[in-house]
Amino acid sequence: MILTLLKRELKVARRNWIGLAIPLLFFIIVVSLFPFAVSPEAPVLQKLAPGVIWVAALLAMLLSLEQFYRSDYQDGSLEQLLLMSSPTSVAISKILAHWLLTGLPLVILSPLLAVLMQINYGSAGSSHTWVLMLSLVLGTPTLCLLGAVGMSLTLAASRNGLLVSILIIPLYVPILIFGASTVTASLENMRYNGELAILGAFLLIAIVFAPFASGRALKISVG
Amino acid sequence: MSQSQDIQFDGLYAHELTVSRSEQVLLEDADLHLAPSTITYLYGENGAGKTSLMRCLAGLLPADHGVVYWNKKPISHPDSGYFQDLIFLAHSLSMKNELTIAENLRFYANLRLKGRVHQKSLSNDISGVLRELGIGGLENRMFAELSAGQQHKVALARLMLEPAKIWILDEPFVNLDQKTRGWLADKTLAFKEQGGVVLFTSHHHIDELPVDQNVGVEHE
Amino acid sequence: MANAWRWFHQLGSPKYLFQKTGQWLPWIWGATLILLAVGLYYSLWASPIEVRQGQGHTVRIMYVHVPAAALSMIAYIAMAIAATVGLVWKMKMAFAAVRSIAPVGAAMTFLALFTGSVWGKPTWGTWWEWDARMTSELLLLFLYLGYIALHASFSDRSKADKAGAILAIVGVINIPIIYLSVKWWNTLHQGYSVTEEGALDPAFQTPLFLMLGAMYLLFAALVIMRLRAEIILRNQKARWVTEWATGQSTERGDA
Repeated sequence: MILTLLKRELKVARRNWIGLAIPLLFFIIVVSLFPFAVSPEAPVLQKLAPGVIWVAALLAMLLSLEQFYRSDYQDGSLEQLLLMSSPTSVAISKILAHWLLTGLPLVILSPLLAVLMQINYGSAGSSHTWVLMLSLVLGTPTLCLLGAVGMSLTLAASRNGLLVSILIIPLYVPILIFGASTVTASLENMRYNGELAILGAFLLIAIVFAPFASGRALKISVG
Repeated sequence: MSQSQDIQFDGLYAHELTVSRSEQVLLEDADLHLAPSTITYLYGENGAGKTSLMRCLAGLLPADHGVVYWNKKPISHPDSGYFQDLIFLAHSLSMKNELTIAENLRFYANLRLKGRVHQKSLSNDISGVLRELGIGGLENRMFAELSAGQQHKVALARLMLEPAKIWILDEPFVNLDQKTRGWLADKTLAFKEQGGVVLFTSHHHIDELPVDQNVGVEHE
Repeated sequence: MANAWRWFHQLGSPKYLFQKTGQWLPWIWGATLILLAVGLYYSLWASPIEVRQGQGHTVRIMYVHVPAAALSMIAYIAMAIAATVGLVWKMKMAFAAVRSIAPVGAAMTFLALFTGSVWGKPTWGTWWEWDARMTSELLLLFLYLGYIALHASFSDRSKADKAGAILAIVGVINIPIIYLSVKWWNTLHQGYSVTEEGALDPAFQTPLFLMLGAMYLLFAALVIMRLRAEIILRNQKARWVTEWATGQSTERGDA
């Protein structure tokens, strides 16, 4: 059942691919601002890189969140989905679709941004890039899970796109802290296993409660 | 909380239902029985609470008080099988503009039948129903490209493609041409013959469709 | 036990809750003012100044800052408990309680941040320092404001209540996570801390506990006043409300 729902999500989203491409472009453009705003010198950029890339990723995830929910809510499809399958399944399919179409591309694009922010300046290989990708792989699904809860809660509220951001960003802070510091630890040639483990723990906690909370909130929004 | 009451009624039975919308109480302590093989016509002024009642019976709007039973079990109970048996067609057509007609219909059918359907025969069924409705050959058109009347027909096509035991239809006859009205009336009667329960609203009586029960909702 | 349950369910009736809280309120205000007076006396006069860190009289701000911070946390937990009661037992009065606690809790959080900042200026030299406790308080303030913003964005009150309740519960799960994450983040960057860990000198304890009690009661008084206003707001059309407001009986047959 989740597979049927997921296929629909992916199909509908792909037909609106511009809406998905824009947050990714935003991701790249925002990161590119920092050399202009701060300094183009490699050591400076390298120090900023983990935080800047992570914040940009966070914002991009928030930007792409709405399109998986708003149109279904408005054309009545969401009601039918909730009638014909469990709210938790609906929530899971949207979260998966959001991650596959924004989170995963973000992970794939991150080496490009790593290059722009000089992450591997002064080191032999591209090890820091891998750590960046790993942190994003573990962190972005949690961002999707929490974002889904926020989006589901605000669907029936007055249409203010920023409301979701205000609600969810405080909850994002722990993930941001550990995601960015994973990469910072790597840059300082320290072990980052602890940070990764905590990111993993956040993911597990979110997997346990977020789909249920999001499904419940969807039912409230529609009822 | 309902104790294990002896609910005598088969079909859809609402007991002591209190429904409100935005703090306004629309219905208080209402009892409603929709027996198998009956067609019920729900009438009333706009805003009196017809749609809210329907949504409550469909399980979308939680009631303030009271329980809705389907074949003697509360609809919230997983064993009632209510949502497997129910087709609820709301005012909004619940179709995606970005998908073709066939994709929209196939999605709902697959969701209802939990994928246990042969895709080729489903496609044939879809083509058949569309032809009956006078929009044959448009399977691969985007839903957004259709006219309002054609879009409405697509929503109705679901009734033929998804097996069900109860239909709750919000204004299904609105804006239909005479031929389609006749088609829908025929199909509704056939559904009733097979034991189905039908609840529908409309602004005026539908001559083509004889009803078994009239239920009115009015402002206090 | 059965009596406790019955009392609990009685509290779910708006009229009963309104009447009971009306009875409690004067006593709570009385106790608040007494405790506040005694507490302030101790805080401002009858307690020593801090010499070890050279804070002098500034340490007196602690007597407002610490209770405010403690209450800001307790209030959010109370919100989450009320939210759970509302969702599980479907009690509208529980949702009214959540809505009543939120602004008072937010005010406590703001008070904690403000007094923390004022305390910090002479101590750190700046108005703000990203240390673990202050940063967590800031995020807690955002959580409160988020609830208030969400609730206010709905036109349908019952949806607002339920959505807000879910948000409050999600928030409370995150509070320990946020606090621990921020603490870890802070040690990573070697920030300062506002207060020392460790037992407080007994001389400081008396005024602190007095003020803690006073703030607790003040909080309760303010929340109850808001709750009563919420009850009236939500039950405008009920007959007992009209009677209460106009002071007249509206029974048929009366003049």
